[in-house]
Amino acid sequence: MTDVHQAIRRYVPFWVSIFVGVALWEAAGRSTSAAFMVPFSETLRRLWQLIVAGEFFKQLADSATLFLTGFVIALLIGMPLGMLLARVRPLRIGIEPYIMIIYATPLVAVIPFILSMMGFGFAPKVLVVFLFAVFPVLYNTVEGARSIRPELIEVAKSFRSSEWALWREVMLPYTLPYTMTGVRQAIGRALVGMVAAEFFLSSTGLGQLIMGASQNFDTAGVFASILVIGLVGVGLMRLGLVIEHHFARWRN
Amino acid sequence: MAESTVHASIPLVSVPKAPPLAERLRTTFLPRLLTGVALLLVWELVVRALAPAYVAKPTTVVMAIPRVITDQSFLKATGATLTAVAEGLAIALVFGTIIGLLIGRSTAFDRAIRHYVNGFYAMPMIIVLPLFSLWFGYSSATRIATIIFAAIFSIIVNVADGARSVPREYLEVARSFRSNRVSMLVGIVLPSSMPYLLAGFRLAAGRALIGAVVAEFFISIGGLGYYILYNSRSYHHNEAFVGVLLLAAFGVGFELLVNWSTRRFMPWYRRDEKTS
Repeated sequence: MTDVHQAIRRYVPFWVSIFVGVALWEAAGRSTSAAFMVPFSETLRRLWQLIVAGEFFKQLADSATLFLTGFVIALLIGMPLGMLLARVRPLRIGIEPYIMIIYATPLVAVIPFILSMMGFGFAPKVLVVFLFAVFPVLYNTVEGARSIRPELIEVAKSFRSSEWALWREVMLPYTLPYTMTGVRQAIGRALVGMVAAEFFLSSTGLGQLIMGASQNFDTAGVFASILVIGLVGVGLMRLGLVIEHHFARWRN
Repeated sequence: MAESTVHASIPLVSVPKAPPLAERLRTTFLPRLLTGVALLLVWELVVRALAPAYVAKPTTVVMAIPRVITDQSFLKATGATLTAVAEGLAIALVFGTIIGLLIGRSTAFDRAIRHYVNGFYAMPMIIVLPLFSLWFGYSSATRIATIIFAAIFSIIVNVADGARSVPREYLEVARSFRSNRVSMLVGIVLPSSMPYLLAGFRLAAGRALIGAVVAEFFISIGGLGYYILYNSRSYHHNEAFVGVLLLAAFGVGFELLVNWSTRRFMPWYRRDEKTS
């Protein structure tokens, strides 16, 4: 009985809020010009058209390939590099401020350089996603490295722990939760990088879907694409939070 | 969701005494200086060896700096972007704080809009550009709207977090002194969520800069982002890179300003305390 009550408490407000939001959207869409705003029903109809025409899934797959390639490369480089910085103290101290500076720089500003040097292929777009994703991973891993108390390493050392054991038992458990915070942030940034690359480099994927729709004054298409990318964003963020929480249990 | 949770619980064992200056020079500044020089050197050599002449490298960028910062069009562009960012951030700060306080302190409000706030926050902000350019035209209104959209949700989310975590006793004392809702919100909840607000503002400032640059790329209106785009298209990479340096300086400047004011005005607040 209490389970049912709890479920009601949890899900009813959620669905009520979503329902009211959709109703407001529908009403706003119906009462304004179609070039300006499109009702929810119209958006869904247009989305269905795009799905049936096959274009939608092709573009989604394009975007997913770009996102995953850039993101995985960022992890493969960011995590080991972050760990290395965690272990080699002078290197970490030396490079820390530069990582912080690049982390705080709006990296979209380098897209025009990438465009004029690398052109319109797949590689420059991957580079953009990579650049957006790698610094949160690095920054947070280094942050985690700073949180390792030197005593822990000293104790491990005085028990003649091997380098491998030191990494496995001290470095990894201490930095990993922070790295995962970085991974969560990197997911969000990589998504921005993906759309930015698709907007400003060669137009492909979901970015092209939006751009095409907006150039054809197909407002319903714009809304449909924004809805999809928004939902993808929410889903990926959830995933990131789950990953982060899973590893955060190690932290204390 | 808030990045505030990152430093949540770093135990402060003991506050180490600041090492003497000579020691700090040797262990901190020297490695930093050497790394910086090494990075610049690698950049310079790689570009010289592999890239065409127009590609930016440290020596040519440095030579471009005096030329660029005395250039009227560059100054105007910088002014336009900074003004837009300041305006957008101010609007986002006011409305974001109000909405955040309401979400944090009112269950009904929280339930009604939290999913939308989280949803918009998770959305890659630049996808609204085509829509905003449709709504507001190819004008600076689109830029301001993008900046607000980029900035406001991180403020809302963080302020709401802060408003939720106000110690219950504070509110109980206020209530037993018959304080009304508004003065409780302004007098207790707001000051007590200040550190969260600053953390949100720091994120918001970074996102606002990105929003401004992206909007200028997209709708080609005058500003620092457009200056970079225009110059790199016409192969003036060195000039364009000075613009990037300035953006980096703003990004870092915001970060340092927020960190400094957290330490200066909220010394009781230790979330950002670093142990080393």
